[in-house]
Amino acid sequence: MHATESRMLGADELAAACARMLSDGGRMQMAWARMRPGMSAPELNYLVSPAPRRPFVVWRVQPDRENVPSLAQQAPLLSWYEREITDLFGLRFDGHPDPLPLVLHAGAQPAHPPLDPRRPEQAMAFTQLPPALPEVSSADVQLLPFGPVRADVVESARFFFFYIGEHILHYHPQLFFKHRGMEKRFEGCEPLRSVVMAERVSGTGSFAHALAYSQAVEAAAGVEVPQRARRLRVLLAELERVYNHLHYLGHLADTTTLKVGQAQGKLLEEHAKQINAQLTGSRFLRSLLVPGGLRRDLSPGPGITRSLGALQRDASAYVRALEGTTSYRDRLHDTGVLDQRTAFDQGATGPVERASGLDRDLRRDHPYAGYDELDLRVPVETAGDAHARARVRTEEINASFEVILQLLPRLATPGPVRTDLTVPPGAEGLGWAESPRGSLYYAVHCGDDGRLGRVKIKSPSFSNWRVFPYTVHESNMMDYAINEASFGLTIAGCDR
Amino acid sequence: MPIWTWFGLRHGAATTAWPRPGGDDGQAGVLGMPRFDPGRCGAGCRDCVEVCPTGALAPSADPRIPVKPDYGRCVVCQLCTEACPTGALTPSAEWAYAVRERDDLRWTQAAASPVGRELRQRLRAFRRSLHIRHVDAGSCNGCESELQALNNPFYNLHRLGIFFTPSPRFADLLLVTGSVTAPLREPLLNTYEAMPEPRLVMATGTCAVSGGVAGGGYNTGRGLEDLLPVDLYLPGCPPNPAAIIEGLLLLLERLPQRSRGGRIER
Amino acid sequence: MSAELIVLAVIGWSAAAVSSLSGRAAGLSRTLLVAGALALLAGTVLALPDGVGPLRLGLVFTAPVTLRLAPEACWLLAFGLVPATLAVTLGSPLTHGRLWIFGAALTLFGALGVFGVTEGAAFLIAWELMSFGGALMVLSECDRGGQDGAVLFMLTLLELGAVCVLAALLWLGTVHGDLDFAHFADAGSALPPTARYVVGLLFIAGFGAKLGLLPFYEWFPGVYGRASGATGVLLSGVVLNAAYFALSRALVVWLPGDAGEGFALGLTLLTLAVLTAILGILYAFQEEDWRRLLGLSTAENAGIACAALAAALLFRHAGLAPLAGLGWLVALLHLGGHALAKGALLLTADGAHGVTGHYRLCPQGLLRRSPWPLAVGALFAAMSLAAMPPQIGFVSEWFVFQTVFQGFHLPGLAGPLALSVAGAGLALTAAVAFATFIKVFGVGLLGGGQMNGPGISAGHARAVGLLGLLVLAAAVAMPWELVALEQAVTAALPGAHAGALRSDWLLVPLTADFAFISPTKLVIAGPLLALLPLGLWWAARARRRRTPAWYGGLPRTSEQVAITPLAFSNALRTFYSLIYRPTEDMRREHTGLRYFVRRLSFDHRVAPLFGPALFAPAVRLTYRLAAWMQGLQSGSLNLYLAIIGVMLILILLVPLL
Repeated sequence: MHATESRMLGADELAAACARMLSDGGRMQMAWARMRPGMSAPELNYLVSPAPRRPFVVWRVQPDRENVPSLAQQAPLLSWYEREITDLFGLRFDGHPDPLPLVLHAGAQPAHPPLDPRRPEQAMAFTQLPPALPEVSSADVQLLPFGPVRADVVESARFFFFYIGEHILHYHPQLFFKHRGMEKRFEGCEPLRSVVMAERVSGTGSFAHALAYSQAVEAAAGVEVPQRARRLRVLLAELERVYNHLHYLGHLADTTTLKVGQAQGKLLEEHAKQINAQLTGSRFLRSLLVPGGLRRDLSPGPGITRSLGALQRDASAYVRALEGTTSYRDRLHDTGVLDQRTAFDQGATGPVERASGLDRDLRRDHPYAGYDELDLRVPVETAGDAHARARVRTEEINASFEVILQLLPRLATPGPVRTDLTVPPGAEGLGWAESPRGSLYYAVHCGDDGRLGRVKIKSPSFSNWRVFPYTVHESNMMDYAINEASFGLTIAGCDR
Repeated sequence: MPIWTWFGLRHGAATTAWPRPGGDDGQAGVLGMPRFDPGRCGAGCRDCVEVCPTGALAPSADPRIPVKPDYGRCVVCQLCTEACPTGALTPSAEWAYAVRERDDLRWTQAAASPVGRELRQRLRAFRRSLHIRHVDAGSCNGCESELQALNNPFYNLHRLGIFFTPSPRFADLLLVTGSVTAPLREPLLNTYEAMPEPRLVMATGTCAVSGGVAGGGYNTGRGLEDLLPVDLYLPGCPPNPAAIIEGLLLLLERLPQRSRGGRIER
Repeated sequence: MSAELIVLAVIGWSAAAVSSLSGRAAGLSRTLLVAGALALLAGTVLALPDGVGPLRLGLVFTAPVTLRLAPEACWLLAFGLVPATLAVTLGSPLTHGRLWIFGAALTLFGALGVFGVTEGAAFLIAWELMSFGGALMVLSECDRGGQDGAVLFMLTLLELGAVCVLAALLWLGTVHGDLDFAHFADAGSALPPTARYVVGLLFIAGFGAKLGLLPFYEWFPGVYGRASGATGVLLSGVVLNAAYFALSRALVVWLPGDAGEGFALGLTLLTLAVLTAILGILYAFQEEDWRRLLGLSTAENAGIACAALAAALLFRHAGLAPLAGLGWLVALLHLGGHALAKGALLLTADGAHGVTGHYRLCPQGLLRRSPWPLAVGALFAAMSLAAMPPQIGFVSEWFVFQTVFQGFHLPGLAGPLALSVAGAGLALTAAVAFATFIKVFGVGLLGGGQMNGPGISAGHARAVGLLGLLVLAAAVAMPWELVALEQAVTAALPGAHAGALRSDWLLVPLTADFAFISPTKLVIAGPLLALLPLGLWWAARARRRRTPAWYGGLPRTSEQVAITPLAFSNALRTFYSLIYRPTEDMRREHTGLRYFVRRLSFDHRVAPLFGPALFAPAVRLTYRLAAWMQGLQSGSLNLYLAIIGVMLILILLVPLL
């Protein structure tokens, strides 16, 4: 990866290298595969963070056999990445504890591995088959398959509860109903225009996805965007964070049946989206970013400044009121406790991770866009329960407003917002962003014609959905909705 | 301990008066689908066709109109407005593109498509009260975010007599978002099957109308086109809450349809 | 006529017992057994309302035995024999050996003896035969793995009871110097009140061991859970009725109850009975095995009948003969209906076992797959045990409440208070019983929409259907059935009349002004009222469109999605955790790290009340005593000779004292 160090490893060295890295305090971030032109087996890439503030390293493994050893027993968070690679590339991992289909459901019958670029893309045959669930010894345990069409306006997924009365014994979410194969859609596309597709991977994270993608292409091309563009990117990223966090606080108030709290949270989210629209023309901050900068300049006028000030005041009053409500706090205390060990092992990210005591934030640890010139406050809690996650989000709203108010004066000076960009043949780039839900990575590999070859997307919800079940086992039904709301997950981002 | 009732009363009513005249639809500054002026097209110019990610701009055989926009495929990315050298495609604030017939989203010279008699009979029962069952058939969550916004105090869908219900058994309207992925095809059809007659279907968002950016992949379909009988098409990526409300009221014949032949009528 | 039929029955059963022991084909033994049962059934039905007069039977190797079947004995015997005949005809699904037939023959013999013999020693022999026969039936059915002492536990408790009965009979016998029952009526009057109370307590304990009064109901789940439904039919039908008959005769006929002891006995029996009913049904509700659930429900119903009997004792002590008669009659009605309904459900359990190979309650679609008589019969039987109108269970339960509600006629405070509290307790049991039989019918028979295959066999289905229809018929014809008990109640409680319970087609607790019900009229009015909705439903059939049940978009993944027995009982399990002390045990099996769960093992239990508190310590004490006395087995010849010498001297000294 341009600007990211990479290391070649043999398949047999992988396990030892991983053990060494983990004992040195490093962490696996993600794993993906890609077919290099001319090779018959896919090349594996592992993104490693050797230490908190040190740059990323990419390990590349070119397997010579069909099977590769699984690292899931050492770094449990890799188990989903390995299953995804098996589904989409056909590469099997030896010793994987859960060798079951993940991304393609059990009844999918693709004619060939879908992400194999040598074969044409075609719709695959599909029959509905029940998923593999853990075996339960007793016939007395009830099973509730909830979904995929659930109550209210929510995304589609199916949740399996093994429960007795109120007590949930085991929980298994079946996701990837909404797998659209977005990574495949990037193949063969022109890099500058494909930002439109990146925006539409996860609707409420449009800007963060576009930002990570643009930065990946910029890293591949080796260009720096102008300073005004960097500052505007920070402003817009924080605006996205604000409306997302307000949405999740409103949703959390809804699950704790605080009706006015829910209404106020949703109303503040609406105000934030309207500010987005007035500033950029899009409520979701779409159609702005392009690799190389922004597509057009923005001038936040006094109206926008006033609206942002009013929103900040309202938001502060709102979160203060929420924190002062005993019934709300009571429902959140000790609900869905995520201990630090599990959060680390399973790759939790974003406010979920920071609520369990893991102090990581891409904006501070691996600064991108204009974050290097800003003081950023990163709130961390240790309790790991729903209240801690809500508090982290609350503090992040306040921190985001601080950043926005720091930035607005600096945007008074005009300047260019875009540089030209051409992608050299065969270039690769890694881009990342701290989206409202956590760390987001785009790994872009371009072909020899300068068009996109393989694009790997790691959205924060993919990591957090893996963590979530460990907080639901042995809890109770009444707390489930609150716990899920406190995690603040999307399914579109996870399923892609 | 804050008293939330007092909090709410003190803040007063936050609901907009829209769609009553004089109300604020909340979409100030929102960019809609590009406005097309075929008179400005350059001869043989195909710049917009190349940049459109969903193929919404199709070359046409008509010599006077080199491209025919299909707004049912537009994802409002504005790339064509940037690529167009002559200003034939310009950004506009027109996001209210709800139509009853799919053809009304395609640019034609012809006009009116009247409401069928059968549809009108079905609609008679729902003019004042409509219950919607929403199914996410593989969207990016943007449409869901805007649909969830419909019940916030600003838009307050309940005041129009329109509600979301948890079960298809209580539903009058099936509102679908997403391009219908393979695993969700059967649940979507089962949901339609589980609704009692009379029932309506609305395709919300460009993904449901024509597949959108994700359509045509190895796991996705092309929207509701050949799957269900659709009574209302609402393109947009995502359609904002005001557009959704306008679409719903149009469906119930409480507002007139403004888009015909791909153009918004004033 | 009845006498001849009884003789035929005895001959038939003897022949069945002999032939089953001799190794001939089981078919012949079974036919003889069924023929004998049919003969006795006919005999007892024909004998009502007079009963069967003294009948001398000469048995081989013993002195002749005199049988006298009182009308209430005929009533209880008839109701018990109907399901017993069907059970023996269908046979036990768990064993095809002849030992079961032998056991059944012994049980029926013993029961006939308990109902009919008029002499104490013969009574005890009949009592022991009945217990022994029951134990043989269960032993023939449980496999090697199941012999962990449940039958031994039952026999131990029954022997305890037999010892109490023996003591009581001997005590009554000391008055006149013989054990003839005809003299016991005077014998009871001759004893001082304290002695009468103790005798009454001994009888309650002795017969209660078989009836299941607390703490003796604890052998029920173990034994029923190792037997088949057919064995259970015999145990909860004929045997239960025999034990009740013996208890009611002892307390009502042999003990006059006019001194203070009548009140004390009534109060004691009321307390024990109501507590038995409550605990029995609470534990029954938590069971997930057909047989264990129905066995504990039998204990509950025995408790209800004994509560009515206790109320009769209280009323008799206060001199209110009509009310006493009401209570006494109600208990008979209750046990009669109970035998039919319980028999139907136990035969359904056998049928379910025939389909699935086990006795667990789980949704298997049995109702859907089986012939329609099963549905009718099981539904009526479950309704009856849940006390739903218009079944006989409802009639008798209603009468029990009416008896208890009329406690305000009693003088003083203690009587009315006791009966009111008893009424509250019975209300609790009625509610839990309702839930229990919804669980039995709903979880055991309904559901299972995706299961296919053969249903319950036609034989079982028809038997259950017949019993269910009899349950309904018994309720509908109740005003006319009461005639059969006219002489019985007048003989037992002078001043009471069976006819006081009816008023034309209504059933009344002595007076129609207090309350009334009428299953007879309900059975006519109900279907008539249903005509209108049925008509509307039929008229709208063209406009209906069928769609599958809504499960969130996809069809049900498996049968595990259906309600499970534990899920149904879970709320009560948590609510009454003070009594149940429930435990849950959950273990996960991992593949490597604890994050990768492969298998979940789940186990749950409720703790019985008296087992750990009463019986386990008693067993431990017995073991300690045995260990202490083991010292006598020293193996030393001198010690043995010394012991024999001492015993000889003692025996020779006793007559001198």
